Amino acid sequence: MARQEIIAMILAGGQGSRLGVLTDFIAKPAVPFGSRYTIIDFPLSNCTNSGIEAVGVLTQYQPLELNSYIGNGHSWDLDRNNGGTFILPPYLSQEGNEWYKGTANAIYQNIPFIDSFDPDYVLILSGDHIYKMNYEKMVGSHIEHDAGATIAVIEVPWSEAPRFGIMNTDKDGRVIEFEEKPSNPKSNLASMGVYCFSWEVLRSTLIEDEKNPESRNDFGGDVIPGMIAKGLKVFTYHFDDYWKDVGTVASLWEANMDLLAKPDLINLRDKTWPVYSKNPQRPSHYFGPDSIVKNVAVTDGTEIYGEVYNSIVGYSVVIEKGAVVRDSLLMPGCRVCSGAVLTRCIVGMNTVIEADVRATPDEEDATEAFLNALCEDDITVFAPDLIIRSGAVIAGNSMVGPKHADIRPDIVAEQPHLARREMDLC
Amino acid sequence: MLIDAMGLILADNRRIHLGALNVPRALAAVPFAGRFRIIDFALSNMVNCGIKRIGVVALTRYKSLMDHMGTGGWWDLDRMRQGLYLIPPYINPVTRAPDRTDAQGVINYVESGDQTHVIISSSDYVANMGHLSLLDRHIVSGADMSVVYTRDGQISGPPSMTFELDGDGFIKDLMVDYPNPTSELNAFGLIVISRTLLLQILEEMMARGIADFSIVGLLQHYDRMKILAIEHTGSLFRIHSVASYFDASMQLLDDDVRQKLFLPDRPIYTKVKNRAPCIVSSDSGAVKNVLSSDGCVIMGHVENSILFRGCVIGHGAKVTNSVLFQDVQVSDGVTLDHVIIDKNSVIKMGGKLVGQPGFPIVIAKNSIV
Repeated sequence: MARQEIIAMILAGGQGSRLGVLTDFIAKPAVPFGSRYTIIDFPLSNCTNSGIEAVGVLTQYQPLELNSYIGNGHSWDLDRNNGGTFILPPYLSQEGNEWYKGTANAIYQNIPFIDSFDPDYVLILSGDHIYKMNYEKMVGSHIEHDAGATIAVIEVPWSEAPRFGIMNTDKDGRVIEFEEKPSNPKSNLASMGVYCFSWEVLRSTLIEDEKNPESRNDFGGDVIPGMIAKGLKVFTYHFDDYWKDVGTVASLWEANMDLLAKPDLINLRDKTWPVYSKNPQRPSHYFGPDSIVKNVAVTDGTEIYGEVYNSIVGYSVVIEKGAVVRDSLLMPGCRVCSGAVLTRCIVGMNTVIEADVRATPDEEDATEAFLNALCEDDITVFAPDLIIRSGAVIAGNSMVGPKHADIRPDIVAEQPHLARREMDLC
Repeated sequence: MLIDAMGLILADNRRIHLGALNVPRALAAVPFAGRFRIIDFALSNMVNCGIKRIGVVALTRYKSLMDHMGTGGWWDLDRMRQGLYLIPPYINPVTRAPDRTDAQGVINYVESGDQTHVIISSSDYVANMGHLSLLDRHIVSGADMSVVYTRDGQISGPPSMTFELDGDGFIKDLMVDYPNPTSELNAFGLIVISRTLLLQILEEMMARGIADFSIVGLLQHYDRMKILAIEHTGSLFRIHSVASYFDASMQLLDDDVRQKLFLPDRPIYTKVKNRAPCIVSSDSGAVKNVLSSDGCVIMGHVENSILFRGCVIGHGAKVTNSVLFQDVQVSDGVTLDHVIIDKNSVIKMGGKLVGQPGFPIVIAKNSIV
């Protein structure tokens, strides 16, 4: 293959277990985000906008949706004669390769792929972060420092620092110590999980790491600390724009709401840095004669006849007259029927909320059958492809999934399989 | 799905004028329904029934048409075999005028296909229709040519192609733009013809020095060919004047009309733009009975209107019964009623534009009012 100076590897194989039923059947990076996007649109668009032309996407957990979403990379201008997007699942070989054991092992198993481009630099990115970053600048800083590895860091509030991997640096920005979730942090520079490596350095480090039976083959846990311990040059790259890891129900909800509350922080209208996505081919959206819509993001194919406040509404959603939706995230293809009231809800793709369902935090006589520790801040999650039977009253912090169809058939049913997933129509 | 037909779309019509709307662009490239252009419907109808080879005949002002179609990828027409072909007119290298061999490009395109039939569509109507039954009926009837019609001959107004039928359902008398039509049968630009017959007609045209290839020109062969008339009973909008364009747009606000035009199993494809979702702000006025599109920011009051992608409606602005093309900016406090505003125009602070239901005001592309 033609040589590429920089290639990007996006880690998209994680299960995202903290998102519960939302990732039962799809990988976390394929979860819809912000009305018309999918989480992986952000790193992919960053690659395109940074001029990176070869992108490997490492998949492992439930890759079908993600594979079909990415396709040949056309939606991000990543269908290239030289380079382009490559879906990289684990594979079998003479040596008997196995599942990706950890993030570093995933890259290790793809050394031949990276070698085929003969790159100078390799970017390791996460498939589940919402941010806009010019990777070219990061590589520039990497070259300037003549570093072996450069780690993007962001300043987090000191109180939150114990939740992150924290970088302690000298005055030049060189990392002298890495602490994973320190209880007494010495710095508030958190690793974003965005790394730039000189390929030669990374290649030999990965081979060494693979030989170490003690290693969990993880970038944050093993590779980076190992490089620091060996005295290799590891530098930080300061990023001071919007960045959010959407790994939990609360952070997914919050990042979506940020699009409404802080539209300037992650400016989707910036023509110099567009966020690309696969576009559904649907007609324009429609606001009905009696609709009331305040502070709402909405996209193609959606029809709103009811009331919607402070919400993110995906494509091909129908909100019937008499329905009231507040502070919620409605994923593509779902329907909220007349008289239903949703507050602080995340509704998965194609789920139907039947008439007069109430899912709001302070409901009396609400069923607590679906309470789930993954949900906090009174956020309720409905899995994709469900039917929530009319009249159900559901307490805040619930997580309703397909398994409940057996336990509470009076409230939950699964969509018949004939229902075509909206994504197929893209 | 295999269909033994190729497509041919006539992107322009010398008899149709949409005022300022088709000055900068061919008729086929006139925006419609918030995020589409007229040609999207003809292209999607053909693609949805399995046609893989489509030629688009352009006359003039085809830059925006070319921008829109690109390599045809949006309609899955970027193929190695077959695909999308743009056929611009040939210009005489000496006189710089359109060449009398105008039809030569069309002939070359038709000649080089290997399909038996050609489905020809004009760009002065909008509908979602399947062509398979049309082709079947054409073949079964043994007609030389088939044309589709609706029963609006006495109400549609020019340009019209009203006709009488003989006992077998073939056209026996054709009246073009006749002011007092006695027949309600009015053809529109959708024709099925065999490839060999089309080639023969085109070559005769060339030999006689007729350069203008049009639907009317084809139908005028009714006296020597069997032209079957097939009725279209579904919804259809003729786009032949500013008033009819405006009326068709307003009808889109009806749920039933939209449902018939945008069928889930026969989607209308268009060029994709990566615009952010539409935002209706927390302090916006009422937004009622509005079709709007990605990239819009609605802060004012909007009612009974269509907003194309990227429109910005300022605080306190009041937009009613209007159609705003892509990236139109309506400043704070502006009042608009019965107005069509073309792409990229800016309506400055405090302005007021009020048209009439049958006579909307049209603001040209890139205007600053």
